[in-house]
Amino acid sequence: MNLNITKDKNNNMTYRIIQKRNIFLTISGILIAISITALFTWGLNFGVDFTGGSFLEAEYVNYQPSITEIQNVLQDTEIKGLTVQPTTDNTFILRFKEVSEDTHQEVLTKLSSLTSGQEEATFKELRFDFVGPSIGQELKSKSFNASIIVLIMIILYISLAFKRVSRPIASWKYGVAAIIALTHDVLITLGAFAAMGHFYNIEINTPFIAAILTVLGYSVSDTIIVFDRIRETLPKSNDDFENTVNNSINQTISRSINTSFSAMLALLAIMFFGGSTIKDFALALLIGIFIGTYSSIFVASPVLVIWNNRMHKAAKKS
Amino acid sequence: MKKISKLSFKAKTRWILGLIILFALSVALLAGGNYYNQFSRFLASKTNNVIVLPVVKELPFNLGLDLQGGSQLVYEADVTNIPEADRAGAMESARDVIERRVNTFGVSEPIVQVNKGGNGEYRIIAELAGVKDVKEAIKLIGETPILEFKEQNNEISAAEIQAADAGGAEINLDANSLWKNTELTGKYLKRVVMEFAPDGTPEVSLEFNAEGAQMFEDITARNIGSPVAIFLDGYPISVPTVNEKITGGKAVISGQFNIDEAKLLVKRLNSGALPVPISLVSQKTVEASLGTKSINNSLQAGLLGLLLVSIFMIIMYRLPGVLSVISLFIYGLTMIAIFKAIPVAIALPLIFVMIALIFYTFNEIKIFDSSLALLFAVIGILIFFYALKPVTLSLSGIAGLILSIGMAVDANILIFARTKEELKQGKSVSQSVADGFKRAWPSIRDGNISSLITCLILMFFGTSSVQGFGTTLFIGISVSLFSAIVVTRILSVLVLGEWLEKRKWLLGVKKIKAE
Repeated sequence: MNLNITKDKNNNMTYRIIQKRNIFLTISGILIAISITALFTWGLNFGVDFTGGSFLEAEYVNYQPSITEIQNVLQDTEIKGLTVQPTTDNTFILRFKEVSEDTHQEVLTKLSSLTSGQEEATFKELRFDFVGPSIGQELKSKSFNASIIVLIMIILYISLAFKRVSRPIASWKYGVAAIIALTHDVLITLGAFAAMGHFYNIEINTPFIAAILTVLGYSVSDTIIVFDRIRETLPKSNDDFENTVNNSINQTISRSINTSFSAMLALLAIMFFGGSTIKDFALALLIGIFIGTYSSIFVASPVLVIWNNRMHKAAKKS
Repeated sequence: MKKISKLSFKAKTRWILGLIILFALSVALLAGGNYYNQFSRFLASKTNNVIVLPVVKELPFNLGLDLQGGSQLVYEADVTNIPEADRAGAMESARDVIERRVNTFGVSEPIVQVNKGGNGEYRIIAELAGVKDVKEAIKLIGETPILEFKEQNNEISAAEIQAADAGGAEINLDANSLWKNTELTGKYLKRVVMEFAPDGTPEVSLEFNAEGAQMFEDITARNIGSPVAIFLDGYPISVPTVNEKITGGKAVISGQFNIDEAKLLVKRLNSGALPVPISLVSQKTVEASLGTKSINNSLQAGLLGLLLVSIFMIIMYRLPGVLSVISLFIYGLTMIAIFKAIPVAIALPLIFVMIALIFYTFNEIKIFDSSLALLFAVIGILIFFYALKPVTLSLSGIAGLILSIGMAVDANILIFARTKEELKQGKSVSQSVADGFKRAWPSIRDGNISSLITCLILMFFGTSSVQGFGTTLFIGISVSLFSAIVVTRILSVLVLGEWLEKRKWLLGVKKIKAE
């Protein structure tokens, strides 16, 4: 792999990213194919925020009932579709279909009855989320609308920001390349969550939407910084387009990696110390930001170069 | 001449540095007032009250429901029986009723608001911070005493009514078939008070609004000599016989009740005039201990994040890294201060100092362009939101805050990377710093705008957790621009100078070998 690195006149190392684009694009292609397959076979594991239903987090102190015990004690209540999931610290997460407040209170009484006869055992409801079906449906459409608005605004912004660039590539093509990179990021993040939802029962709730939209913004800003450099170097460069783009990537690569690394350090801190709700959220951002950085270096600019080369070939033929 | 202008430049820079230190101290006191007070008490006790520092006010955080514990209840109102035009008004009065009920429950600063959904459905959202007994609160809010005025159902003979009346308890069972609804309901009540009849027995006096008064007049006119029933929640509470047509919209329920019963009835009628039936469609309840745990967890996460990012920056960028860590801490303190309930009188001057410093810096590095207008718009929006209501810190907000620590260094990284490039081209240290800032700006601007756009959309997204995240990240990015452009720059201008020419390793640049 020695060929990957060359040195320029200032004794700087240069990675041959654009020249090796086929490798990176193949990796991306495989990841996207896996993600799409995961999305189609398993789908996204939506939580109560979207599906409607009840989510109850309960804590037992000085006594740990088994899952079967909990299921048995709740057997003759009106709740449907009960799943019990133990988490850390003697807490359990119960999920069931939406219920009336009376049934909710009945469930609490039943759960609390498990501690009777146990010395110093107490039961406490830590969290109860109840979402009616209409609210969940509304949230779905709201999230969808918000994503569409973000996309439109970003496309508008890119086409404005790159208005002045024209040679050798039209400004709107930067926009399209950025959108391709961004689609790539979102697809892979969604795919990762489809897989994790299937294997680890990680759910998608409202914070996840915020995470995905943030990844959208981040991915674009990362790509824009690389494109900004291309735009700046192009007029001064004597090299061909391919090498100019490669140099621009090399000039910005340390910034891209360092920035993402520091953002990921902060997110890792949340992963270690944050509670269960916020962990999944941080995970989504972590995956998204990692992929976003990858795509800004290895996907967005190669797409530009391929596009440019195709045009040239077409021009030569005619 | 050149020397003088240089001197004045240095002097100006020192003034700016002084202003920044003042700003940093203010936000530090606002953010960590309790630590400062502890310290001053400690100092006073150790020095036998020789050094007595003034005590500052300790400001609380504006904590969201998920951090302080509490319950958010969403009710959907059934407005099918209310004409389109009256719906908004009816919802407003329903909101007032619920607010009154919640207030009797003793929740501090309850928030009750009406929300119109995308499909025209009406909702009432009640946020009860620190509520201990959610079950009781739900019961209280959900109570829908409906007051109805009914007249005799003529298909049943008067004799039967007499018989049923005499039967006492049985009247409740048959009540609905004996009486038929009039158009008059509790909706038209203007006021209910307790009064005393001349003989000293308590009475409940009803006063209708103009519309209700007309209806009442009509009902009494057509029922002279017959009984009219007042139903509460489907049960007759009073069945007076009409002696004459009553104009003026006043009625009196006199019955065999004592003062307590009369008072209760007044209270129920006053709060009971809920004009729309509501049903609970969503509930989010967090136990207070879980909230406390979340706060502690996030505090640890935040500190760890800050530490990791600081170490990373110092390793990667050496001395400039240290400078960026200083500005990162000022950034962190500013963010914490923003989430505290700062009085507007203190907040506004601080915001103006921030704007003035940004303005000065832009002028100094001569990057005045249209993008500046955009930045000011951003800060303007920030002030607008800030003045509108204090920012509430929620769990997702904290996530945004911690993420913004990582993102805040981005501008620093861009600047230092540029500075390094300038250095490699053989420029002097101070020239490289100056050019590094100037040339990094377009990237900083373009990179942050798309993130800010996303945040703005998240802020208007509707769900409170998402809004909290968007708002925090938005403020975080804006303040991070301030810390990078203003604070890091001033520190760099002052610290990174000639003395470094022979110590370039401190800048993370290897000596360029002479060939």
